[in-house]
Amino acid sequence: MNTGRTRREFIQGLIISVGGAVTLTACGDGETTSEDATITATPTGNDGRFYLASEMALLSRLSDLIIPRTETPGALDANVPGYLDGLMADWASEVTRQAQHQTMQDLAARLNSAVDNFLEVDNQLALSALTELDSNAFNGDDSLSGYRTLKGYITQAFFATEEGALQELKWVAVPGRWDPSVDIVAAD
Amino acid sequence: MADFDAIVVGSGMSGGMSAKELTERGLKVLVLERGPQIIPERDYTDQLAPWETPNLDNVPQDEISQHYPKQYGGVAYAIKQSTKHFWVKDDEHPYAEAEGTSYDWLRGYHTAGRSIMWSRQTYRLGPQDFTANQSEGIAVDWPVRYEDIEPWYEQVETFAGVAGSEEGLEQLPDSVFQPAFTLTDAEIAFKQRVETRFNGRRVIPARIAHLTDATEEQRSLGRSNCQARNRCHHGCSFKAYFSSLNATLPAAQRTGNLTIIHNAIVQGLDFDPQTSRISGVRVVDAQTREHRTWTSRIVFLNASAIASAMILLQSRSETFPNGLANRSDQVGRNLMDHVSSSGVAGILNGFEHKTTFGRRPSGGIYIPRYANITENDKPYKRGFGFQGGARPLGNAGGQIAGIGREFKEAHRRPGPWRINVLAFGEQLPDPENRVTLHPTKRDRWDNPLALFNVSYGDNEHIMQQEAVQDAVAMFEAAGCQNITVSEADLSKPGNRIHEMGTARMGRDPETSVLNGWCQAHDVPNLFITDGAFMTSSACQNPSLTYMAFSARAADYAAGLLAAGEL
Repeated sequence: MNTGRTRREFIQGLIISVGGAVTLTACGDGETTSEDATITATPTGNDGRFYLASEMALLSRLSDLIIPRTETPGALDANVPGYLDGLMADWASEVTRQAQHQTMQDLAARLNSAVDNFLEVDNQLALSALTELDSNAFNGDDSLSGYRTLKGYITQAFFATEEGALQELKWVAVPGRWDPSVDIVAAD
Repeated sequence: MADFDAIVVGSGMSGGMSAKELTERGLKVLVLERGPQIIPERDYTDQLAPWETPNLDNVPQDEISQHYPKQYGGVAYAIKQSTKHFWVKDDEHPYAEAEGTSYDWLRGYHTAGRSIMWSRQTYRLGPQDFTANQSEGIAVDWPVRYEDIEPWYEQVETFAGVAGSEEGLEQLPDSVFQPAFTLTDAEIAFKQRVETRFNGRRVIPARIAHLTDATEEQRSLGRSNCQARNRCHHGCSFKAYFSSLNATLPAAQRTGNLTIIHNAIVQGLDFDPQTSRISGVRVVDAQTREHRTWTSRIVFLNASAIASAMILLQSRSETFPNGLANRSDQVGRNLMDHVSSSGVAGILNGFEHKTTFGRRPSGGIYIPRYANITENDKPYKRGFGFQGGARPLGNAGGQIAGIGREFKEAHRRPGPWRINVLAFGEQLPDPENRVTLHPTKRDRWDNPLALFNVSYGDNEHIMQQEAVQDAVAMFEAAGCQNITVSEADLSKPGNRIHEMGTARMGRDPETSVLNGWCQAHDVPNLFITDGAFMTSSACQNPSLTYMAFSARAADYAAGLLAAGEL
């Protein structure tokens, strides 16, 4: 039961248990930094089914900064903005939709006051501005509840995609057994 | 000549067992199911991956408001876009509540009823549960004792499959077990600390109706071991958890003696005063609205405690002007559920280097009733059991600070371990807690709506306040940090989905509806073996008990038929 495996071995074990059908990008030898790996949002300039073009651009940048491409796909690789556009168009009520538009408007104003043109500044500046906002959001600033909700949407959507679930979270469709005690050795 | 030997109304937890037991004794059985047919290969959605269910598998918010306000409000965790077809639409199946009261009638109409959607916690009642009414002078005495039902528990458990551990507790007798889902390290630590501090309290693995070592009989029905996917609310293609559709109905089917008719809503039972027997079961087709009457030598009502009471109340005659078998005026009364209050949670430090593999279905730990068993200083009667478990807190749906690589990879780590418990308490029988026929409102099939008038008494309120305090004390003793108590009053009546008591058993026909065999005192060919027969609620999840009494009653009824006494 207590196998003493490293986390990497543990993850590899999970993937083997689904028949090796998954490309093991998370455990590759190539290491890149978050900064190197982060890709720039490339908004199409078009309105989505729900989000306006300007909102899609902001959502894309936020998604990319929050869940960047690393050794595994990031939120843009998994088309999280498109996922959320569908969520708002097909799931959300009018009240939720209005709240979402308001959140995007508020975030654009806050971030553009922190840096000059949040969508265009380089990643370091954008990262710095969003990190400060994020820190405030999770340290009692209730005026940022819309951001917390949006971050929840982005995260849940990412891990519900094939890229996020399989390659990053190592979700296993059929575990086949219950092991209540697996050691994680912090070797990696 | 009757159309069938037996008619079973309802195909859920108890109806499936009644049908199995009756068909296996050679009776030709008709099961009337008011909902449509569920075909696992078509209707189970357990094989869908997360990315195959758009919108996070959420039901659109406007659709919830329009169709599922009650159902979703009661069991949001189970109603997803891919599972909503297992739950009724409230606007299609309305009910009414007395002014100033509220009731959750949470249900699904289809093959196997709620046995598809249940949470599979499986416990026997103990000897004390069958004597409590008598010793405390509450309601009426059960006409049976634990020893009467014990062999039927064994039979049902052997067939159904229950994962659990032998503990030797008198108040919670061991079942016939398959291997338990072992406790996590954090749960083991919690168990040791609580049991050391509180003599007489036990923390044990939850007992759940999942196969972990399938028998030949179970495999012959196409069932296999639980695959630890925790997709149970979507149905189970492995047939690993017990349901009528996975087990009892296939067993009945293979006898060649079973007929199931779907979309058959029973509107009433015809009573023949010459023979004192039910002479027909009146049905309306839910889709075509055609009416017809089926006949049989015996009738088993397994429509649910509420629906079975409604059928009796709708079946008025000169002999029974207040409803069939209702000379005692107890039909529809004493409606009980289990009662919960706030959940208690806390962080158990020291297990951050641990995780689990597989997704354990249903519960983790169970704390059997100790109140008025091993501790007799309580300001309330009866008691409660705690259900809960410990697992890594994980990523909390993105609700943690941080962005970028660190935030992304934080989701791989299990994080701190969180343990939580929730009490399930006994509700005392009260004749004023009842379901009746609404005097004016009717559904689309011209049946009266159910009208609920249920509220909790002082005992339930005091018990739950004490339960929360007890839980906090145990969490403190276990060394939990950040202990939180959720804001909650008592759970809404009906919300635990354990409704029972509306046609209680008893020794006296003047004060009870059924005798000790679940047979109507005044209508010998009528048996009721869903939750309606329960004379008290105990605090254990009741499905196993419904099935044990169904098997026992079916054996008794078949014996009477064979002896020519019915």
